[in-house]
Amino acid sequence: MTTATLQTSATATRSAEGARALLVAAFLGLGLVFVAGFAPASVLHNAAHDFRHAQNFPCH
Amino acid sequence: MITRLLSAALVAGFLASVVATGLQLALTSPLILQAETYEGGGAHSAVAPSAAVTFASLIVPAHAPSQHSHGGHDHGQADEWQPAPGLQRMAFTGLATLVGGVGYALLLAAVMLALRREPNPRNGLVVGVAGFLAVALAPAIGLPPELPGMGAAPLVLRQFWWLMTVVATGLGLYLIAVRRVPLTILGGLVLIVVPHLVGAPQSLDTVSSQVPPATAAQFAARSLAIGFVFWAVIGLAYGWAWGLFGRAAGARRHA
Repeated sequence: MTTATLQTSATATRSAEGARALLVAAFLGLGLVFVAGFAPASVLHNAAHDFRHAQNFPCH
Repeated sequence: MITRLLSAALVAGFLASVVATGLQLALTSPLILQAETYEGGGAHSAVAPSAAVTFASLIVPAHAPSQHSHGGHDHGQADEWQPAPGLQRMAFTGLATLVGGVGYALLLAAVMLALRREPNPRNGLVVGVAGFLAVALAPAIGLPPELPGMGAAPLVLRQFWWLMTVVATGLGLYLIAVRRVPLTILGGLVLIVVPHLVGAPQSLDTVSSQVPPATAAQFAARSLAIGFVFWAVIGLAYGWAWGLFGRAAGARRHA
């Protein structure tokens, strides 16, 4: 009984940690891809210009 | 777990961006530079009256001849910052590739975590190839990789279609490859096909481009090839680095 409870709570902790890691990774990843590929600021566009063309982000 | 994931994604993004930057500088950047000689500068007798923006930037000598010319693009101001030609421009291309590579690696990590796939090189490669299909190949069917100076539909429309296609294709691949029952396979196929039935926003002005078609075709093929290598290395390296940091953490615990 106790073991089962411990296991359940350990699993719950793991999955909560997994959910947090998932959110962090998705948020950071989207942010970085947006900056590199989509950000409309012309300074960012000009800096990333050749990368955007080569990786086929819509550009200009 | 978060530390391990972020570390592995940083390593994967770095390794992939080193490879992709080398390939971009060798294969696509020369074609971009070549195409830029056709925008702004060259003879534009064939420019249609509708291309007023192109024409306006031709009469305003905003760009010194030695500078990376952006004539023809609607950028608002003419004297905005851009990297100096040569080494600085190559460095910024590398930096942008690094930022994009780490971003893609983080998204790949998030997908592997959501799918509960143990990150190893083999699983990483599978998800990486799926990433290439969804993020590079599918949007390229409607919006082929473009060189500067080629006519194109308004940016926001293209970005919207691009994003919609990436999301729909990603979901479709998930329904087909992970769920794998007849109903979801059918739904997945529909999701993958629909963006192309809707159709990508197309340029109205397809005749005024001065870029040689052979150069444009070569660019599109090279761009997709680089995209494939980029994604494959991200997946492989993420799986590898995940194992690496796991062993390192285990060794610390047992020490």
